[in-house]
Amino acid sequence: MSQHYPALLVIVPLLSALLISIVGWLNKRFCFPIAVAALSVSLYSSVGLLLRVMDEKVILYFLGGWDPPWGIAYSVDHLSALVLVVVSVVALLNLIATQKSVEQEFSEKIGAFYTLYLLLITGLLGIVVTGDAFNLYVLLEITALTGYGLIAMGEDRAPLASLNYVYMGTIGACFYLLGIGYLYISTGSLNMTNISSILPGLYDSKVVLAAFIICIVGVFLKMAFFPLHAWLPNAYTYAPSAVSSLVAPLMTKVMIYVMIRLMLTVFTPAFTFSNLALSNSVVWLAVIAISMGAVLALGARDMKKMLCYVVIAEVGYMVGGAWLGNRAGMTGAILHIANDALMTLCVFLAVGNIVYKVRGYAFEDLKGMFRKMPYTMTGLVAGALSMIGVPPTCGFFSKWYLISGGIQAGQYGFVAALVFSSLINAVLFFRIIEIGYYEPFGADHGHGSSPVRMAEAPLTMVVPLLIVAGGLVMMGVYTGDIITHIIEPIIPPAIGN
Amino acid sequence: MRILGIIVVILTGALLIYAMGDFPSWADPASPAHNHVSPRYIEKSLEQTSVPNIVTAVLADYRGYDTMFETTVVFAAGVVCFFLLRIPRKDEPTVRRYRHTLTGMTIRVKETRQIPPVLEEFERIDTLWAPHDLIIKTCCRILVPFLQLFGLYVIAHGHHSPGGGFQGGVILGASMILLAISHDLRTAIGRMSERVHAILCPAGVFIYAGTGALCMVLGLNFLDYGALAGILHVDPVTARSHGILIVEIGVGLAVMATMIWIYNNISSKGKYDEGL
Repeated sequence: MSQHYPALLVIVPLLSALLISIVGWLNKRFCFPIAVAALSVSLYSSVGLLLRVMDEKVILYFLGGWDPPWGIAYSVDHLSALVLVVVSVVALLNLIATQKSVEQEFSEKIGAFYTLYLLLITGLLGIVVTGDAFNLYVLLEITALTGYGLIAMGEDRAPLASLNYVYMGTIGACFYLLGIGYLYISTGSLNMTNISSILPGLYDSKVVLAAFIICIVGVFLKMAFFPLHAWLPNAYTYAPSAVSSLVAPLMTKVMIYVMIRLMLTVFTPAFTFSNLALSNSVVWLAVIAISMGAVLALGARDMKKMLCYVVIAEVGYMVGGAWLGNRAGMTGAILHIANDALMTLCVFLAVGNIVYKVRGYAFEDLKGMFRKMPYTMTGLVAGALSMIGVPPTCGFFSKWYLISGGIQAGQYGFVAALVFSSLINAVLFFRIIEIGYYEPFGADHGHGSSPVRMAEAPLTMVVPLLIVAGGLVMMGVYTGDIITHIIEPIIPPAIGN
Repeated sequence: MRILGIIVVILTGALLIYAMGDFPSWADPASPAHNHVSPRYIEKSLEQTSVPNIVTAVLADYRGYDTMFETTVVFAAGVVCFFLLRIPRKDEPTVRRYRHTLTGMTIRVKETRQIPPVLEEFERIDTLWAPHDLIIKTCCRILVPFLQLFGLYVIAHGHHSPGGGFQGGVILGASMILLAISHDLRTAIGRMSERVHAILCPAGVFIYAGTGALCMVLGLNFLDYGALAGILHVDPVTARSHGILIVEIGVGLAVMATMIWIYNNISSKGKYDEGL
């Protein structure tokens, strides 16, 4: 069975999505258990793959039994195995944590909701596991289409925000497809390893150069890298909370994975960093992305929008780290994919719990929240500490690698932006903690007013949140092992110190 | 902002035109696209899959996995339309219009679900009702079965001629939509209820993905139709050809049902009672 892990990982959620879509018309109660079972299988297979990859380096799976480049091949290495585990963990925890709020918001259309949810995860897992450049595009389409639908079901301005996302996302996907078309014209192949073995002779070709630039710009658009970020804040803010806590941790991170895959596997590091004089400008764009994200987050009026701008700043971290062109920067960027997915999930889940209880996410809704929902706020604080970068949470370690990468590369602007954004994050999150902890005392001076009653979210929402919060610390503690066993083998020796 | 947009567009266009300089020349037999993977498709596909139509062999076998996800994209579009547009029954307007077929008199009925069945000569009409043209109605009704027959032919004949599941499915879907346009939406829904097409749509994709999973259960890789040889009692190469037919039928069902599903949701604004 274990030789089928790469296919099972994607096929089981797909088949279950179809099954849910049918079962949803007959009995709604079966939808959620089927979804949980499907994502558990995915998680099991991805963990199995991660363990196998440590011995075997690269696992190939030929779909339809055709060997590449004629057929489509899945190829799993350390990088994809790591991201697969992250995606399936986040998807499963979020599924369980948001069960109640989905029932609250979509009681009539639970079948359709879980169908789209599983298709979205199918798409994300497929993007990560595939070794075929065109297959990646097809799954990108599935991810995007289901994402648009899920986001548009949110409150007031969600359909408009989603429409904006449709335009931008479609342009991004088209750019990627156009780039793949250019690569096909010049190599005649769609398989990533095959393309990369043909390309070195063609690095002088203008077609290959244009293909690289178009693909990367398309992916930048999809990951909301500054200045192509305009679609993200509204789309993720107005989305239903069960959806924003899924797409915010995963979509941008998977796109960063695609970027790193293009930079390291499809093209060689030598081409990416030496043949092109782009690294410097991309790192400077990342500096602007981080600073702008931080400043805009400071100006946001509510919690969800603030977190969306933090997400944009985090995208800047990872893009900048990857383009520094040294081992520390790349290590930091890859580690941050995992860490950032977890901490974004953590804070968005906490916000989801608050929305479930008080039906709002403005800063004023947070008053007295530490009394009212102590466990949720504990989770939020853990996520916040990690976003600020306080040891022993994992956010500290990836930031450490990014900063040391920046220093080694002599990119002091990037280092300054990282420090600046950490300070802003500290301000942002301590403001929330202050409102949640002190506000009711200031308002009525404690004279005979009734104390705020504890009204915590249901257990199924709190436990996953606390698991994620604990995971943040665990990731921090085991950072060393993750780096030596998983991340070190990813980075090709061509990238020096 | 506008000027900035124009500058970006010009720069992108310039990049694309700049890249064209190194394109292989038009119809160049020596270009990489003609020499790397294509020769094997052209020379071996009949021998390896026993399908004369090379396009079908590439689409449904060599790269069948992509096609499965393309079908899933179609399905996802249907689900998204349903998810966003469909309004549950309780929000339906409470006023319905009925027309007395003998006199042409129309009445409005409030609050009740249906008028009593004794009043048979009353028929339900749309809010924006126009008298039906007998010629159009009759012509379309005659056309529909032929369209459907042709759709089935296109699905089944994809192995030998241009066609296949996507095209055939569109023709099948169009036949039902023609019925809805020439008569009214209720007639079409009466022929195929919402539940039927909403279940057929995932069922079609399920046939595709399920065939792939069956190959896996039978011991080969996902979508390796050769594994079906044992069940179908044929040699592995013919099994590939049969496997392609099975998945094409799945695609056809999914595309047909999705077309109808999307049309019904959009035309009735999600209410499923009246519309174009």
